[in-house]
Amino acid sequence: MKKFAALTAAGLVLAACGSGPSGAAQVQQDPSAPFEVWTRSTEATAEVYTELFADFERKTGVKVDYKPVFNDFDKQIQQRAATKDLPDVVITDTGSLGVFTQQGLVGELDRGSVAGNADIVDRAWNNAKAADGKYYAVPFSTQAMVTLIRKDWRERLGKPVPRTWAELADLASAFTTDDPDGNGQADTYGMLVPGTTDRGYLAWWASNYLWQGGGDILEQDGDKFSVAVDSDRTVESVQWLRGLFCDSKVVVPGALTLGTNDAHPFFESGKAGVYLTGPYMFGRFDKSLGKDKYEVVAAPRGPAGATVLGEGENIYLMAGSPRVADQTKLAEFLIGADAQQAGMKGDPQPVVRLPVNKNVDVEKVYDDPRWTAVADAYQDDARPFPNVPNFQPFRQQTSETLNSIFATCGTDVKGELGELAESLEQELRSQGVAR
Amino acid sequence: MRARAVPWLFLLPALLLFAVFKYLPMAEGIRLSLFQVRPFLGDIFVGLDNYTRLVTDERFQDAIGRTVLLAAGQTFGSMIIGFGLALLLEGHARSLWFVRSAVFLPVVAATAVIGEIWRLLYYPAPEGFLNTALDFFGLGPWTFLDHPDTALWSVMAVGVWKGAPYDMVLILAGLAGIDRQQYEAAAIDGTSTWQRVRYVTLPALRPVVTILLTLAAIRGMRVFTEVYVLTGGGPAGSTDVWMTRVFTTAFERNEIGIASAGSVLLFLLTFVMTVIVQVYRRAKEKV
Repeated sequence: MKKFAALTAAGLVLAACGSGPSGAAQVQQDPSAPFEVWTRSTEATAEVYTELFADFERKTGVKVDYKPVFNDFDKQIQQRAATKDLPDVVITDTGSLGVFTQQGLVGELDRGSVAGNADIVDRAWNNAKAADGKYYAVPFSTQAMVTLIRKDWRERLGKPVPRTWAELADLASAFTTDDPDGNGQADTYGMLVPGTTDRGYLAWWASNYLWQGGGDILEQDGDKFSVAVDSDRTVESVQWLRGLFCDSKVVVPGALTLGTNDAHPFFESGKAGVYLTGPYMFGRFDKSLGKDKYEVVAAPRGPAGATVLGEGENIYLMAGSPRVADQTKLAEFLIGADAQQAGMKGDPQPVVRLPVNKNVDVEKVYDDPRWTAVADAYQDDARPFPNVPNFQPFRQQTSETLNSIFATCGTDVKGELGELAESLEQELRSQGVAR
Repeated sequence: MRARAVPWLFLLPALLLFAVFKYLPMAEGIRLSLFQVRPFLGDIFVGLDNYTRLVTDERFQDAIGRTVLLAAGQTFGSMIIGFGLALLLEGHARSLWFVRSAVFLPVVAATAVIGEIWRLLYYPAPEGFLNTALDFFGLGPWTFLDHPDTALWSVMAVGVWKGAPYDMVLILAGLAGIDRQQYEAAAIDGTSTWQRVRYVTLPALRPVVTILLTLAAIRGMRVFTEVYVLTGGGPAGSTDVWMTRVFTTAFERNEIGIASAGSVLLFLLTFVMTVIVQVYRRAKEKV
């Protein structure tokens, strides 16, 4: 028994030893350590990345130990962070910037020290800028959300391309009730919504409509923020959205537990006719559904405009890497015009959607009016989430409240959003940016 | 001296494995539960703060309530159906052996696979599998996992479906141990079938039932995979249980310290439950 106690005590001491603070500066550089790169990918985009990294190795001699992550990317990063052994470079959503900087998973970056930094458009650099005005990543790709519509269904029912919310709602309800695929069965739905609260997806989708309705989650005032999620315009927008779920019932069943990967097949297999999503799905839908079956349009205008979410992917140089020089080398390679073009031409799915490098011409590379539409939407109507230190908790809580409102149908929207506003206010204060 | 060392020497490999894969991670978990965990910025000691925040968190309290409800429902549901199945399928005939094996399949199938299959069966539109079947009887369509009022019950049904055959096997073993003469004696005394079940079968099964209850209650409190695969805790958090809450706290809210506190609390609870049952059983056996 004594021995057992000694063993346990030794274990506790061992565990305690590995817990001191550490920074990138203290890490011993080791050129023979594996150079681990993770991307948040599908199998299709993983192929494109594999090509890109092979090209990088040919040009620089640096071998990349590549791991595409298909599921639970953030969770796997957190698990690696807990063991203090992060991958050297990860490529993922710009939305991860807040979490990464707050947890110290990435260090500050001198924008000027990245070769080729002047070729990157300023708007893309903003995606890599944290709330303190400093840069913590290198931008890789940008995009705006667009609305995909089943063209063949719309034409069969003789409806126009929707330009307003009213027309959109009308089209969605026709898709649900008027048998647009002509199979004689009521098995189609108007709208596809990835409405799970996992990663806060529902807020990702809904924020587009909140903005179009003149509402918002947070409102910026200089470098401070206030909560806007219970404003009259937000309440009206949420009520309109709830109508889609509860009154006209045009949303696919099961949407409120649906993640994006599970959602795509609903559009491909002819279950749903309207899908607000990113442009990265074109390649896959062209193959599975057919290029002529669907069309890409800018968001139909709401009461306050046609604003959509414009974000992208960043290249994050992770803390604690024994290969600091190669981290920068890879980032510089990936933002170069050649790699950006190769990333756009990826088959079947591009890994660079809109290039961050100003020397790359979208129209020339894609030669596809749908991508020109995406570029236009990004130029005219796209905006990112607000630049608070960490937006993730706001997105998470908003998605949970919206999920509950859309699921229960009968609740008092203003009251629920009011409660949400209180807890967001608290979060603003704890992040030190409340007005 | 040597004689005393020999047994420990034989135990050493197992102890080492347990230490590395069980005791050290557990000790680390307890340590983390006292810190605000920031692997790359240095952890901050917060004492019992994590525990206070946890037990005062309304969402966590709700999750505990649902966990208890789910555990109770799955435990008793599995036991009642398992008991029924055992009575039906007891015997030595070859056909019974085949049916028993078929009934046992859900227990050995991977939970993640079961979850995905039930998601398909539960598809909440009229053309969903179960809803098509319900339509045949003039019922439905039901919402199943899609509505906060029905989601938890749907998850519970899957748990019972998976747990009942397991209970059945243990109860079958218990049934085999009952002396046939007791039934015959009861029959001579003129008892009905129900009376034989009530006064002969059930009392004889008491030890099996105690074990089943303990195992099922502990398993029920720790439920995670079914819920995570079926609903991820949604819709509207209506199926959020203890472990999904811990998981979300750790890997979505990135509060490893609070999540560790949740795990430690769950460990303590299951530990206490096990001890109580053990003490109770020993007391019974002495009598």
